[in-house]
Amino acid sequence: MITCNGGKMTTAIDIRGVTKTYNPGSNRPVKALDNVSLAINDNEFFTLLGPSGCGKTTLLRLIAGFEQVSGGEIMLFDDEIENLEPNQRPVNTVFQHYALFPHMTVAANVAFGLERLKKPRSEIEATVERVLTLVKMKHLGDRRPNQLSGGQQQRVALARALAPSPKVLLLDEPLSALDLKLRQAMREELKQLQKETGITFVFVTHDQEEALAMSDRIAVMSDGEVQQIGGPTDIYEHPVNRFVADFIGDTNFLDCEIVSIRDDLVTCRIGRENLFEVENTGGHTVGDQVTLFLRPEKISLSALDTKNGPDTRPGKVANIVYLGNQTAYTVDMGDGIELVAQARPREDGKLPFAFGEQVAVGFSTRALRMLAQ
Amino acid sequence: MNAWLPKSVAGRRWLGLAPSYFVIGIFMLAPMVIMAVFSFLEPNPYGGVKPEGSMAAYVKLFFEYDLEDKLVFNPGYINIIFRSFQLSLGATLACLAFGFPVAYYITLQPENKRNFYIFLITIPFWTNLLIRTFAWIIILGRGGVIETPLLAAGIIEDSLRMMYTDGAIAIGLTYSYLPLMVLPIYASLEKLDFRLLEAASDLYASRLEVMTRVVIPLCKPGIIAGSILVFIPCLGAFIAPNLLGGGKKLMLGSLVQFQFASARNWPFGAALSMLLLAVVVVVLIFYARAAKKQAAIAGGS
Repeated sequence: MITCNGGKMTTAIDIRGVTKTYNPGSNRPVKALDNVSLAINDNEFFTLLGPSGCGKTTLLRLIAGFEQVSGGEIMLFDDEIENLEPNQRPVNTVFQHYALFPHMTVAANVAFGLERLKKPRSEIEATVERVLTLVKMKHLGDRRPNQLSGGQQQRVALARALAPSPKVLLLDEPLSALDLKLRQAMREELKQLQKETGITFVFVTHDQEEALAMSDRIAVMSDGEVQQIGGPTDIYEHPVNRFVADFIGDTNFLDCEIVSIRDDLVTCRIGRENLFEVENTGGHTVGDQVTLFLRPEKISLSALDTKNGPDTRPGKVANIVYLGNQTAYTVDMGDGIELVAQARPREDGKLPFAFGEQVAVGFSTRALRMLAQ
Repeated sequence: MNAWLPKSVAGRRWLGLAPSYFVIGIFMLAPMVIMAVFSFLEPNPYGGVKPEGSMAAYVKLFFEYDLEDKLVFNPGYINIIFRSFQLSLGATLACLAFGFPVAYYITLQPENKRNFYIFLITIPFWTNLLIRTFAWIIILGRGGVIETPLLAAGIIEDSLRMMYTDGAIAIGLTYSYLPLMVLPIYASLEKLDFRLLEAASDLYASRLEVMTRVVIPLCKPGIIAGSILVFIPCLGAFIAPNLLGGGKKLMLGSLVQFQFASARNWPFGAALSMLLLAVVVVVLIFYARAAKKQAAIAGGS
């Protein structure tokens, strides 16, 4: 599954069959991770994405060493690290709520890791200055954490974790406490920082937009298992199952029955007359129940009276959600099918369609995809 | 509005506070003023005081009259005060050494268990201190719980003579005031953000460094409060010194008690109390300064 973009990839972290069970001896053991295997490449921005409780933070904490694995191995480059103490692992963490030491100045916080590593004083001072400059916090080195804003604390936490030059930087939902504008700005900066430092980033988030915007590769997790690993476009355009398709972005699902199969096209039916053609990915027989998915932005809506192409079919606007830069229309297609489509606003700012209006719904066969169940 | 209520806001506020002024006045200020007044009076040989002003009690702290009726320096009482400080300091340090790990252990327990452990810590308060100190005589004394098995096993041949020593007093004081160390330290540890410990170990701190660099600095207010709560009553203690020290090794508290109960020199006892009070005030000022500094760190600016 490793996508090579030139050159040979080294694996920074290799998770091999890792299982984590909380309260193993009790009558209610909780399996947080179930036989998870994945490889994170060196110099990669890798994201663990999933809803809360999917095990992504647990996996991060296992890599950092705050929790012990119940089974499996964790390799950091060529060293087995799953039995080492956190202070023996050359990885550093940016915590969700920053966890800055309140009794120390910003500079002392950043120097903490270097001092524990017994670096010479001059080197510590130079490094602290360098990483504080990197995160644009050099002028606030004498402040204490509680004198800083959330965004500034975030930068200090980043500087503190980067200062000891870890082999891998672990980030546990570091942007979740920031407001929207700042979060978007920090996304850019984090991505930039990863490129500049060349350190492998392992980023945990439940925000799919964040994951798509920053990651080289994403692992989508659910219920303690990895559902899919791939680049942002892979995950978005070719989700392997309904969970991934649903979790990443808005999606229309069409549950239907295969009525005919030709060389490259499968025809599926919902109700009596709604037929959908989809690319034949093989492995299906007539009569199978399958799920198709269709992204809202791939559906075009037009007024019904214009010359509608053969790909379009009629529908009635059943709901309108105005989102500013676009509008989400729910279109009733009959047979109990409702499709959500996105339409850009007209240039004069008026909504293109009204509630209850008949519209022509168009999408190409290539936009429809069949999901493995 | 009732007619008897004062009209002004200030007046009404004063009325509202009156009950607490009354309680503080009767239970705190009045006894202290009486003590201060007594310390400047003449002792009545039959107990109590004679209403004649005198500085004799304070002179007696440092001087005595020799055979020729001349005032000479007498280090006796100063030594007792000095010993009291030493023993109290030792007991405070011992309480800290034993109390901190206990408080830390309780903090690490699941929430539902913590209250139970705190409850256990307070159990000794249910019995009289006198009785509990007597129990230490049975433990430390000749033919006691410690000596008997050692003698029987032939490890020692003679009594260890643990009773009636400074060590016995220190043990008694440590035992008596240990809960007063555990509780404030627990209170400050409980507020500690344990993610900071993870952050420290993530940044290559060993277990010891996590303690010395993060945990102890952050629960300093609790350590200081606990130390004061132990140190001050230790200075004034008289049960442990009397029972375990045999009354020969006097401490400040037992000296005061002796002046009132046996020696019938109330002014001298009162003067000793005033000295103790002065020491306590100095310690508390030190604490207030430390607390203020801590608050400045925590509060910013």
